[in-house]
Amino acid sequence: MFQYTGYILAGVGGTVAITVAAFAIGALLGVPLAVASRSGHRLVRWPAISVIEVLRSVPNLVWLFLVFFGLPEVGIRLGPWATAILTLGVTSSAYLAEIYRGGFSGLGQGQWLASKALGLTTWDRGRHVLAPQLARVVSPTMATYAISLLKESALASTIGVVELTFRGGLVSQRTGDGLTTFVVVGVVYLLLSLPLAYTSRRVDSRLRAKFSVG
Amino acid sequence: MGPDRRAGAAFLEASGVTMRFGDHVAVRDVTLSLARGEVVSIIGPSGAGKSTFLRCVNLLEIPEQGSLRVGDTSLTVRPGAKPREKDIQPLRRKLGMVFQNFNLFPHLTVLRNVSLAQERVLGRSRAEAEARSMSLLDRVGLAGKAGAYPGRCSGGQQQRVAIARALALDPAVMLFDEPTSALDPEVGAEVLAVMKELAGEGMTMLVVTHEMAFARDVSDRIVVMVDGAVVEAGEPRQVMSDPSHPRTRSFLSAVLGR
Ligand SMILES: Nc1ncnc2c1ncn2[C@@H]1O[C@H](COP(=O)(O)OP(=O)(O)O)[C@@H](O)[C@H]1O
Ligand SMILES: [Mg+2]
Repeated sequence: MFQYTGYILAGVGGTVAITVAAFAIGALLGVPLAVASRSGHRLVRWPAISVIEVLRSVPNLVWLFLVFFGLPEVGIRLGPWATAILTLGVTSSAYLAEIYRGGFSGLGQGQWLASKALGLTTWDRGRHVLAPQLARVVSPTMATYAISLLKESALASTIGVVELTFRGGLVSQRTGDGLTTFVVVGVVYLLLSLPLAYTSRRVDSRLRAKFSVG
Repeated sequence: MGPDRRAGAAFLEASGVTMRFGDHVAVRDVTLSLARGEVVSIIGPSGAGKSTFLRCVNLLEIPEQGSLRVGDTSLTVRPGAKPREKDIQPLRRKLGMVFQNFNLFPHLTVLRNVSLAQERVLGRSRAEAEARSMSLLDRVGLAGKAGAYPGRCSGGQQQRVAIARALALDPAVMLFDEPTSALDPEVGAEVLAVMKELAGEGMTMLVVTHEMAFARDVSDRIVVMVDGAVVEAGEPRQVMSDPSHPRTRSFLSAVLGR
């Protein structure tokens, strides 16, 4: 089986690509979603909250199948890669929006009052006061989410995306050695997530040494 | 040079300010004016609406109605018509504010705390802003803390930084909301000393305070608020030794313990 290790490792790129792309989409789309979900206007807030709840309540696997097998029936046809990246990206935006929301409420109202009293514009308050503190508050939770998204990316194998897990499946069928094959696949996921967890801890404790927020 | 008290010489004027939270009237038709260089203390029991009134003055709270003027900049808020940010800005720029909880930006060093708004609001260059910040930090005795984060400063130091941060924008009037209430008395004294110096230099100041000694010794006038309204105003000694309103009397006997 070990002669196939190289074939399995060739899936790392695909797994990382799905994770990074979906995370980037989610991190970006999550910002307007989080802001809208805290809006003072009901007509803005309610749709945003509904979108977040719907996205989070349906399993990612069901979303993937819906997009991959369902949308072609209404004429929208996406390839497996595009389906995986867009679907996981959009559902991530809901989870990340919730993480941002949590960060917002952790920041004291005093920060907002003080920056207003200084005459900073809404943009400057967001850019120089809110965002940096928010980044500090939410980055550990975001790193945790990135690790879970890395694992969720394995779902893409079910719609034929040839990434790590898909390759593991092929190898185990070919060799009949599912045990060794999926231990190798599991170890690869572990090795991918460890540096993420380590870096996040390091960055967090370094920032914590300088200042704490909220 | 004492405050300019000629009739009609009001420099800060708030009139008919009313603020409601739901059904609760937090500030009830309050009218107050300060001459240039005058120091006025607002005292009164907790929940009287002192903080809310102060926040109405620089429009951190938008009052239900009322008129505000500082120098030649004015704004009138009518019921149901929320003023726009760009109408609020000119008034706010003339007012510096210091909060009970300091509210320094924890992610910025002391120097950056004092410099940020100078650069973003006044358009000063970084070098220009930081030079001004250093001279103000020096003045409040904290030049040595310029590179520190607020979390590494004591409460009294943080509040002095907050004063420098507000002064850095060259306000015409300084608003203080119980600046020493979150501090131990000895530490509060450092802050009061800075405020006293500022008053001595002719700064116009509106100070919500529980420090009766400051109200009596530093301010030109005391205003007493109870249940959202001004019940009494006058010379500090007169208000403190011979209050005319029963609520002032009971408030004073509670805080002065007599
Ligand atoms: N954001 C708010 N929402 C609702 N009620 C408030 C709010 N801020 C203050 N109040 C109420 O308004 C009244 C005046 O409060 P405040 O101005 O803080 O009084 P003071 O500063 O004199 O202690 C209090 O009854 C308080 O509960
Ligand atoms: Mg108060």
